[in-house]
Amino acid sequence: MAGSVLLIGTAPASSAPALFASSAFTTSIQVADFALLGLILFFGIKFKNWIIAGLSLAQIALLAFFEFVVLKGGHAEPAGLFCDNLSLIMVLIISIAGSLIVFYALPYMEHHEHHLKLKTSRQPRFFALLFLFIGAMNALVLVNDLMLFYFCFEITTLCSFLLIGHDKTREARQNALTALWINSLGGLALLLGIVLIYTQLHTLDIQVVISQAKGLDALLIPLGLLCVAGFTKAAQMPFQKWLLGAMVAPTPTSALLHSSTMVKAGVYLVIRFAPAFEGTPLSAGVAVCGAFTFLSAAALAIGQSNGKKVLAYSTVSNLGLILACAGINTHAAITAAILLVIFHAISKALLFLCMGSIEQHIGSRDIEDMRGLFGEMPKTALIITLGILTMILPPFGMLLGKWMAIESAAGNLFTLLMLAMGSALTVVYWARWAGILMGSDFKGDSRPEHLPGLARLPLVSLLVSAVVLSMSAPFIYAKMILTDFSGTTAAFSVSNGVMANASGSFAVIPLFLIAIGVFLFALAKSKPGRRTRLSGPYMSGISGQENGTYIGPMNKIMGSAQSNYYLSGFFGEKKLSGIVNATAGILILIMIGASI
Amino acid sequence: MTLVYATLGVIFAPFAGILIAGLDRILTARFQSRTGPPLLQPLYDIGKLWGKEPMIAHRFQPLCAYIYLAAAMVSVGLFFAQSDLLLIFFVQAVGAVFLVIGAFLVPSPFSQAGANRELIQILTYEPLIIIVLAGIHLYTGSFKISAIYAMDKPLLLNLPLLFIVFGYALTIKLRKSPFDISASHHAHQELVRGVLTEYSGRTLAIVEIAHLYETILILGLCSLFWTTSVLGMVVLLALTYLAEIVVDNISARMSFRWMLKSVWSTGLVLSAINLIWLYSGGRI
Amino acid sequence: MLKKIIEHSQVKSPWLVHYDCGSCNGCDIETLACLTPLYDVERFGVLNIGNPKHADVLIVTGTVNKRNKKVLKQIYDQMPSPKIIIAIGACGLSGGIFREAYNVVGGVDKVIPVDVYVPGCPAKPEAIIDGVVEGLAKLKELQQASTPDTDAIAS
Repeated sequence: MAGSVLLIGTAPASSAPALFASSAFTTSIQVADFALLGLILFFGIKFKNWIIAGLSLAQIALLAFFEFVVLKGGHAEPAGLFCDNLSLIMVLIISIAGSLIVFYALPYMEHHEHHLKLKTSRQPRFFALLFLFIGAMNALVLVNDLMLFYFCFEITTLCSFLLIGHDKTREARQNALTALWINSLGGLALLLGIVLIYTQLHTLDIQVVISQAKGLDALLIPLGLLCVAGFTKAAQMPFQKWLLGAMVAPTPTSALLHSSTMVKAGVYLVIRFAPAFEGTPLSAGVAVCGAFTFLSAAALAIGQSNGKKVLAYSTVSNLGLILACAGINTHAAITAAILLVIFHAISKALLFLCMGSIEQHIGSRDIEDMRGLFGEMPKTALIITLGILTMILPPFGMLLGKWMAIESAAGNLFTLLMLAMGSALTVVYWARWAGILMGSDFKGDSRPEHLPGLARLPLVSLLVSAVVLSMSAPFIYAKMILTDFSGTTAAFSVSNGVMANASGSFAVIPLFLIAIGVFLFALAKSKPGRRTRLSGPYMSGISGQENGTYIGPMNKIMGSAQSNYYLSGFFGEKKLSGIVNATAGILILIMIGASI
Repeated sequence: MTLVYATLGVIFAPFAGILIAGLDRILTARFQSRTGPPLLQPLYDIGKLWGKEPMIAHRFQPLCAYIYLAAAMVSVGLFFAQSDLLLIFFVQAVGAVFLVIGAFLVPSPFSQAGANRELIQILTYEPLIIIVLAGIHLYTGSFKISAIYAMDKPLLLNLPLLFIVFGYALTIKLRKSPFDISASHHAHQELVRGVLTEYSGRTLAIVEIAHLYETILILGLCSLFWTTSVLGMVVLLALTYLAEIVVDNISARMSFRWMLKSVWSTGLVLSAINLIWLYSGGRI
Repeated sequence: MLKKIIEHSQVKSPWLVHYDCGSCNGCDIETLACLTPLYDVERFGVLNIGNPKHADVLIVTGTVNKRNKKVLKQIYDQMPSPKIIIAIGACGLSGGIFREAYNVVGGVDKVIPVDVYVPGCPAKPEAIIDGVVEGLAKLKELQQASTPDTDAIAS
């Protein structure tokens, strides 16, 4: 088992950019399309979920109409594969982060099934689905044919449904069905968009569509539908519900869904088609919708103390930021979007895997229960803290992306206001979490930290790659992103590791050098000296023996309870969800409406 | 050349900060009909703290303090190197986050509550500052400080409301009433010294020095609103700081909920008005 | 140079923490009166800092009893040295009129070493200020007695 995983997991990483080949298997894809939709219909009927059944029936009808009436049973010109640097970056993310997650899943699933006391292992099914998922994602970013794209899109939908429902609990099934119907809605939007595009342009070649769509107002509606499909996949407001529900699945599934696959498919779709709607009202609409998601998901994250939910809202929020960049749609903004995709995938995979280890160890996913985790699992606590810092602080890549995003949004009033507020909210919910981890007054049952090497390795390598890739961001830009924008002047000039343009500069490498220097210096200086006295916390009275306790009345030792501010009066899920979803829905309608 | 400016800025900023803080304390005393401490009192305070017995409450606390100081120094250096405003602000935020983490490390209720409140303060001022910086970008077409110096009219004339918004952020950052919510200059109150409670001795001295740097940075940002003449810049800074001291003396501490609500609503409305005025007036 | 500044600063910036061990509040009121504009002890850099971890001077008023002596000890322990302790008023000095009560330990110096005694019932603000100034002289002595803080200067 392990050997095969090793092979399959790492094989795509070596995939060469010369993967250009045209294929003649369109017919089989058509059959498979219907089979896939039939399967979804079957699940809809089996679990008596009529929304899913209805949506899949609508898709079957639409597909049949397209294949037999529009195409008259024939084939459109097969467009084969297309691999530019965007695809390549996506492939690398999917394969590397995906494989690391699979490595992690090996010991994790063993522990997980041990915990559930299963008689027969269901791991083969789980891993088969993981690989199908990763494979479909790889195909999705490489294909150049809209129908093939749709096919891969639907496979990821189905895989996510099966993976979320893997544990077969009531909650898991319900959330899996939610994921299925929301993504089927996206699938329907995508298919409708494709049919409309074909009726206008008579081609399914993505590159041709992008180059011909410029300036064609009639194409804005189908492009808008594609964006909506992207929104559902990327769990944008108001479609965020499925991604939040997805965390009932075993952690590797969540890590995969949130970092490198699934949600990134939606983002990829929008970024890929961004040149087609550059400078249109649709583009502005995408920017506003994305920025709104960035803001509102960050606000919702503040109100959460459930660690996995915070991670989920943060994913939604960051994807919103990426989509906002795609909507702003300048060279600099697209660069920001791609950088954010890379760094978000790495940091988020890291955080989810850490979260999984912590949850298996302390048996809780509540942030408050992780207070002083450093005393309990020092290594994991350190890794997750650093992982959190890579999300919010310069000179790491996420912040570089955010900087680019705000710089490019500066001319765009509403987007800018939302990005500014969202950015501050983001700092709060991360810093709050990072802060309490490193204390050392863990209150739960104490057991020695034991993490198998196969689980530790992905964590360490993800952390290292987050740092190393952040450091090499200027080179990633110069060597990989820039080449995709042929014919335009570079948005940033790179010299001495400083990324600069007319409106600003970000000294990546110098800042990194300073940061490393400062960190080492501070580490050396803060080593307790011979004369350093360690004093307990100030408790305003007589402290007890243990940290955080005091001697109360009748000489009793009293514990003190501390909790972070979750501001549920401002940011509670109950308070915000309704308003946020309604606003987001209206924004999407306006976005589509504006393109008419 | 920029490197020389940056180095000079980093070296002289704390001394300027000491003088400003000393003047602040004397003026505050005079407002209360007291004589007040000597001008160099902040220097004495820091010197004394530096010489105290090293005492820490958590092993990573000095690390956090040093990183706070370093981030403040780097952001001041970037400021004097006339670099990117957003970058300066984000580097400054590193320090703010590490100060909070340092306070979170210790399970004292005062420190914890202070850290949480400090986060709310960050939450309150950060969007305002980003919007002000974006307003500057809207007007000058760049986030670089050098672009502001290239303008022939002071920013204040076109961004008056944004300056007021910036004043809110300034008050929060300087820990002045009514926004001295996470840690006040005077510690005889319910929160002891909030976010600073658990820093002591040399660690506290480092935090105080970093605060001096931050004061200089934030006043430096303030000075960008009048770049056409040195006299105008000095007058603007003096008036702004005087206004800060007056506000500090006449107002009480408020709750963080009030701060979040009132500052966001006023700040966002004021900046939106100013930005829309810029747009519609064809001034950009 | 740096050493000089630090040595000089140590007597120029006494931050104090005030602990009421069970005073009748007479001495407390007089102590706080020193901070009012009339006496304005901030002229000497004195601040009432309220946190033992930041303080250099511990001002204790009132009699020490069996219950609060632990608190007093703890506050003393939480102050980083060099530090001076000032006992204020008859009760702080010796237990005062409560001296013979069953629960009273006695003066502050029964629990922690006291550097300056300020008598009075209550002590006058002028006397308290004088006590603090006296304490600063002691602080200087303490400093000269202790070995020079070499690693402070090196860094």
